[in-house]
Amino acid sequence: MPDHWSGFSYLVTNLARFIRPDEVTFSGVNSTPPMLACLLAKRAYDFDFVYLNVAGGVQPAPSTIPISSSDPVLSEGSTAIFANEDFYDLCTRGGMDLCFLGAAQVDGRGRTNVSVIGDWHNPKVRLPGGGGGAVMLPTAQRAVTWRTEHSTRTLVETLDFVTAAGGLAGVVTPVAVFVKREERLALQSWHPDASLDEVRQRTGFDFVATGAATTPRPSVDEVAALQALDPDGQFERDAHIALR
Amino acid sequence: MPPPKITTLAEMAARVPDGASLALGGSFLHRGPFAFVRELIRQRKTDLEIIKQSPGYDLDILCRAGCVAKARAGIVAMEGNFGLAPWYRRAVERKQIVLEEHACMTLTAGLRAAAFGVPFQPVGGVHGSDLPSLNAWAAVKDPYGSGQEVWVIPAIQPDIAVIHVNDANELGDARVYGTYNWDRIMSRAAKQVFIVAETLAPVRSFTDRPELTLIPSFMVQAVAVVPHGAWPGSCWPLYEVDYPAVEAYMDMDRELSLHMAHAPERQERVDA
Repeated sequence: MPDHWSGFSYLVTNLARFIRPDEVTFSGVNSTPPMLACLLAKRAYDFDFVYLNVAGGVQPAPSTIPISSSDPVLSEGSTAIFANEDFYDLCTRGGMDLCFLGAAQVDGRGRTNVSVIGDWHNPKVRLPGGGGGAVMLPTAQRAVTWRTEHSTRTLVETLDFVTAAGGLAGVVTPVAVFVKREERLALQSWHPDASLDEVRQRTGFDFVATGAATTPRPSVDEVAALQALDPDGQFERDAHIALR
Repeated sequence: MPPPKITTLAEMAARVPDGASLALGGSFLHRGPFAFVRELIRQRKTDLEIIKQSPGYDLDILCRAGCVAKARAGIVAMEGNFGLAPWYRRAVERKQIVLEEHACMTLTAGLRAAAFGVPFQPVGGVHGSDLPSLNAWAAVKDPYGSGQEVWVIPAIQPDIAVIHVNDANELGDARVYGTYNWDRIMSRAAKQVFIVAETLAPVRSFTDRPELTLIPSFMVQAVAVVPHGAWPGSCWPLYEVDYPAVEAYMDMDRELSLHMAHAPERQERVDA
């Protein structure tokens, strides 16, 4: 096992750890880390789960791992095409157990902003926009997001715009894992090379850390699965993730 | 005899008036009607309204060329490792276009309303989001007494849905391999449907497997056959995203004409 646990591996591995046996789990557009997490879980864990993705895949077995997380290769090996309206309707009627959703800003209540930095009508930065969040975050059984940067500008006290509400079940950054507890995000664990103090300093919202500890290091199977998905480290290099 | 539906890309684009609202098929860099979009640019269309749940290259290049007045979209990005759509972003930040920001499924609810022939359509979720107040959407209480409140989205009826497909036939039937993304509901919501196809396939291949047809011919007004027309995006299973071409497109110092000159539909025009 490597001494240094890279931010990229930490992020993908801890996203995968939200996946539970037999549940319906979904990865979407613009979502390379969750796509890798779902594929990692399929390889590393000794349980089955129903993997759906935005390319219409149902339990797919893609022959290559695409750069774009909506690439049609992600439906290769699928026995059905479960297209966009299908998986959204599944989610709103309560059939999506775990949904991975992107975010630019996250607040302490587990709400997200993917719309804008600054005022919506006078934007400093126009972001991608609504996407799946406003519908999926409040209707999925659990929704989990990730940030490749852990800072007071990404984990904020006040969102510039509330794109989606409903309370994230989890947030993973390169140095920390948060989970939902009593309608707030609480720290579950932190990277072995970081500390509780560091996480507090770099987080813009208040959180409880009762019972939090360092994150368990990746298992041999988790390391091997990520290695198999990213043999030459291209995804890791493209992700540009630093611990700090 | 109905007029023949097979036409050229240029003639198809010429049928789009300035100010038209266009729903564009596909998602991000995958199976978008990108050759058609480039033809709109060559014909210098203006004041277009673009409707798409997850546009990227198509909306971005139309903003770059100054063809867009309004976008109604869920999520706009180049995706992959390319991130934000730069010319779209600039157009919104400089208020050169009007944005109606949706969630993908609220836009779909609007299209469903148009497809179903009703003035509005309920959508699940959205509770707690700032999007309803931004767009002046209404919520209705379940008239059957469950106590639930549901957001309702007004109908969105595009003038034309433009869908890039794998196969079409001379009658206008069209089918897609792999996911059809949002194309089915777009085709049912729009007043007209234009098809850009990789291949002109025999009618017999459609009568053999009618259940594979996504859009039936009677709903289709025009078909243009443009091999490789989703470039620089992918069209499953024929070709993948041309990442070097997208990367070159993203170079903000490089002339758009250099990108346009590499488009496969230009080559074909020269060859023809």
